[in-house]
Amino acid sequence: MAQQTRKKRKGGNSSLIFSNKMYVFLIPALAMFLVFWIYPVLQLFYYSITNFNGINYNFDFVGLKNYQKVLSNGTLTNSLKNTMIYAVFTVTLSNILGMAVAMALNTKIRLKGLFRTCAYFPALFSAIVVGFIWSYVYMPGSGMIANLLSNIGMNGAAFNPLGNFRTALYAIAIVEVWKGFGTTMIIYLAGLQTVDESILEAGQIDGCTEWQLISKIKLPLISSTVTINVILSVIAGLKAFDYSFIMTNGGPGKSTKTLMFQVYETAFTDLKMGRASAFSVMAFAFIIVITVLMLLYLNKREVEL
Amino acid sequence: MALGKKKEERVKPSYMKLTPKTVLLYVAIILFCVIVISPLVIVFSSSLRTPGNQTSPLALFIEFSGASYAKAFNSMNYPMELINSFVTTAGSVLCIVIFATMAAYPIGRIKTKLARFLYFFFISGLIIPSQMVIVPIAQTLNRLGIPNTRFTPMIMFITCSLPFSVFLFSGFMKGLPVEIEEAAYIDGASLGKRFTTVVFPLLQPAIISCVITQGLWIWNDYFYPMVFISKKAQYSLPVGMLQFLGDKENPAQWNVLFAACVLCALPLIVVFLALQKQFVNGIAAGAVKG
Amino acid sequence: MRKMLTALALAGVMTLAASQTVMAYNHEAIENAGEITITMMVSGTAYENDFETEKLPALIKEKWPNVTFEVTKLPDDNYYTSLKTKLASGECPDMILTQPMYAGQNSCYALAEAGYLVSLNDLDVVQGRQDLASVTYEGDIVTSTSGVSILGCYYNKDLFAQAGIESEPQSWDEFLEDCQKLQDAGIQPIVMGDKDQYVLQFGLYQLAANEIYPKNPEFDVQLRTGETKFTDEGTWDKVLEMYKTLYDNKYIDASMSLGYGASQAITDFIDGKAAMTFDGSFNAAALTAEGAAGAFERGYFPIPGTEGVYTATCLSAGYSIYSGSKYIDECKEILDYWQNGSSPVWHAHLDTGRIIATYGEGADTAPNYELFKPFIDLLNEGKGYYWCNQAWPAGTETEMEVLFSEMVGGQGTTVEDITEGMQEKFEDLMED
Repeated sequence: MAQQTRKKRKGGNSSLIFSNKMYVFLIPALAMFLVFWIYPVLQLFYYSITNFNGINYNFDFVGLKNYQKVLSNGTLTNSLKNTMIYAVFTVTLSNILGMAVAMALNTKIRLKGLFRTCAYFPALFSAIVVGFIWSYVYMPGSGMIANLLSNIGMNGAAFNPLGNFRTALYAIAIVEVWKGFGTTMIIYLAGLQTVDESILEAGQIDGCTEWQLISKIKLPLISSTVTINVILSVIAGLKAFDYSFIMTNGGPGKSTKTLMFQVYETAFTDLKMGRASAFSVMAFAFIIVITVLMLLYLNKREVEL
Repeated sequence: MALGKKKEERVKPSYMKLTPKTVLLYVAIILFCVIVISPLVIVFSSSLRTPGNQTSPLALFIEFSGASYAKAFNSMNYPMELINSFVTTAGSVLCIVIFATMAAYPIGRIKTKLARFLYFFFISGLIIPSQMVIVPIAQTLNRLGIPNTRFTPMIMFITCSLPFSVFLFSGFMKGLPVEIEEAAYIDGASLGKRFTTVVFPLLQPAIISCVITQGLWIWNDYFYPMVFISKKAQYSLPVGMLQFLGDKENPAQWNVLFAACVLCALPLIVVFLALQKQFVNGIAAGAVKG
Repeated sequence: MRKMLTALALAGVMTLAASQTVMAYNHEAIENAGEITITMMVSGTAYENDFETEKLPALIKEKWPNVTFEVTKLPDDNYYTSLKTKLASGECPDMILTQPMYAGQNSCYALAEAGYLVSLNDLDVVQGRQDLASVTYEGDIVTSTSGVSILGCYYNKDLFAQAGIESEPQSWDEFLEDCQKLQDAGIQPIVMGDKDQYVLQFGLYQLAANEIYPKNPEFDVQLRTGETKFTDEGTWDKVLEMYKTLYDNKYIDASMSLGYGASQAITDFIDGKAAMTFDGSFNAAALTAEGAAGAFERGYFPIPGTEGVYTATCLSAGYSIYSGSKYIDECKEILDYWQNGSSPVWHAHLDTGRIIATYGEGADTAPNYELFKPFIDLLNEGKGYYWCNQAWPAGTETEMEVLFSEMVGGQGTTVEDITEGMQEKFEDLMED
């Protein structure tokens, strides 16, 4: 009898209160998730070994050819590189900015609410509206920045960030940061508010400098907040699509084609749904690997700190 | 973290004294906010001009006219799109809260490998972008005989929101004490009764967080409504915005475009300004809980 | 089969449906249908008082009070995505905008091959027409279109006069000289919105019509059989080299144009900030509108080639009926009414100034007709060739645009790289 209970505890569920009957509650969500998400994703795996063009349902199996093509034709390397630059840039900038502003606002500053509102405000706008606004900000000749530069006597006409191969990707990454860092900031702010004042006071009494207070006390105490923020922005960065789509259409050249944009273009412009599926499957695997590695690394750091 | 009841006991706020260091802090933060907010200010100022008036766009608020708004209002069919956006967002969020809290109940409470697996199974959905699977999704809908109506994008919003919401609620659920439920169990309450009368009310902070983050996303998303709605009368605000896409580099159309941008974001701005505290706490709670 | 058919179509040899005996469709379908809603989806930017989204539904209602005609207009990219999704979900609108042959992601051949388009051989308005080869798939006319579209060079007559240019250029060298004169006079010769990379086609296809097809009208057919290649000397290398000259001499300023959107380029042109822009007849309304420079006089000419002037002209995109539609005969009735050459819908469509009808009332009095006339004359002389991408699998032109942008954007890409890239992409897309 006792043995049986122990055995049960190891594998199955022995709780009387939280019995397996509870799984009934899972049904609606699980059904929707399986039917409208997992099944289509499996379908995608299936297409990845066919020559389906997205229109004609008379397609053939082509084995792993789509995978070979994606690996060999250079689109993967280019879009992967762009995505990595984009992700690293946005993750770093939005976390540094978010953290800095959160720390500034976590002091006994006046008008704290107003500043917080200002910083968060861009997050309220739809990506499409943000794309419109920043198209105007960046527009050469008559855009906002070009106008500002001209007004202070600089050559505003030469300002053309989206038309330059070297700057276009960073220009749209800045848009992503502009829209996203407010959310990051609010999460940091909440994290910082959990830090006990007395610990900081103790630190001050011990003669810690401001920087030591931040790096030795505050950061370690909010490390789980850092983890969640970094992971959320990494996922957003790797899924980057909106601003390439709305503002640059992948250009100039291929300089703002991200993974998702490339997948989209392969499927909808080149009519290669099969190959796009293979591309997706690889992109999917890539995003999972990156996310899991980041999680492991950050969790390890959390423990170490 | 104790949600909702953060350090509200700041009865008498004591502000920092003005030292050179704090002045520098103020200057830095004011400058930063100005930079962040400046595109929006110019957009707002331009939207108040008459359509086509492009003289020195940086001269702020030199004209106050509702003409651009009137034009944008009419060409978007604003009241209709507003109602559609509202119905879609409210309907989806309502279903999300119900389905996700229900799903999170066993996942957050049962401590077996299966429950743990289900937890990660749902979370994995976070990683897949919708552009990737849109064609198979459309086929699935077709096979099930689900026609394109205003409910189709809602199905997708609910589905896509499940990973995050289940993650949020089950994380929150783990932090709730089991004792109250044990008491209810001993009192002979059924599972359903326990969920509706004991657990669900306790989830309130997480529900607010879910409503805000998911509502914000659904309100602003244009992808699903664009591909799954055929009738103009069912367009939501962001889809209506798409018709202005060709105008984004056309200075002659800017004032109207900007008015449309403001109109599109207006409901969210109003809600945000009215419920700022809930907003901020909600967003933070969603993440910090994880 | 597909290849052979293309060959026939491209050569202009036609076995037209008109010669076959076709069953007439039910011309009373709408009258007996009761209250119905017919949907249509098109791509483009909605203008004020838009023809497709506003006037057309009103005029249909006037003619048939029991029909609610709902038109959705989406920007190109969103149109393609929506179309594909709606086809996949079996929820395609009754009527859709399609392009001739293989052009674009809504090409009528690709859609017809997949069985999505209804044969329009029994439409009244296509009977006896000999010009529909490029919308005829395996003997079935699948797109109903009433006109042609032109690519050309819009220019500002005032600025030309200012630079001392008296007439439209008749040869490539003259064209370059004129550009130089404009530049010397301190006027930006050409403005292009290359951020929207598709506009690169506007210039390149005209040059291809001048330099490639007159020498070998079968060039694209032979691409498919492997007899010709993009890398062949004196073909695309020449065209790309010629177009590149405009960038090398800053007649088109790449440092600006790569960040310019298409509509911004149009605005610059009507504001008098540049003397020329390459664009299509479909944008005539926008290009002849009044801007900051007022109502200056505008002209439109085909970019001249090194050996004569040809025009890049083709059948316009038109309207197809979805095979899954519940109202096929009703749609046919509507198309017949719309394109019969005399109905109020027909006139409203012509009045947009964006289409060039090849038949029907008012075809030669439509707005902007004077602008287009020289092109029509060339076409009638047999000096017209279709737009290249109609004969290429969708995606080839994108590769060309991307690589060309890289070249003029200083990425070290050469003309050779472009032709090789196009050939590689072409072969890749032709596979399966």
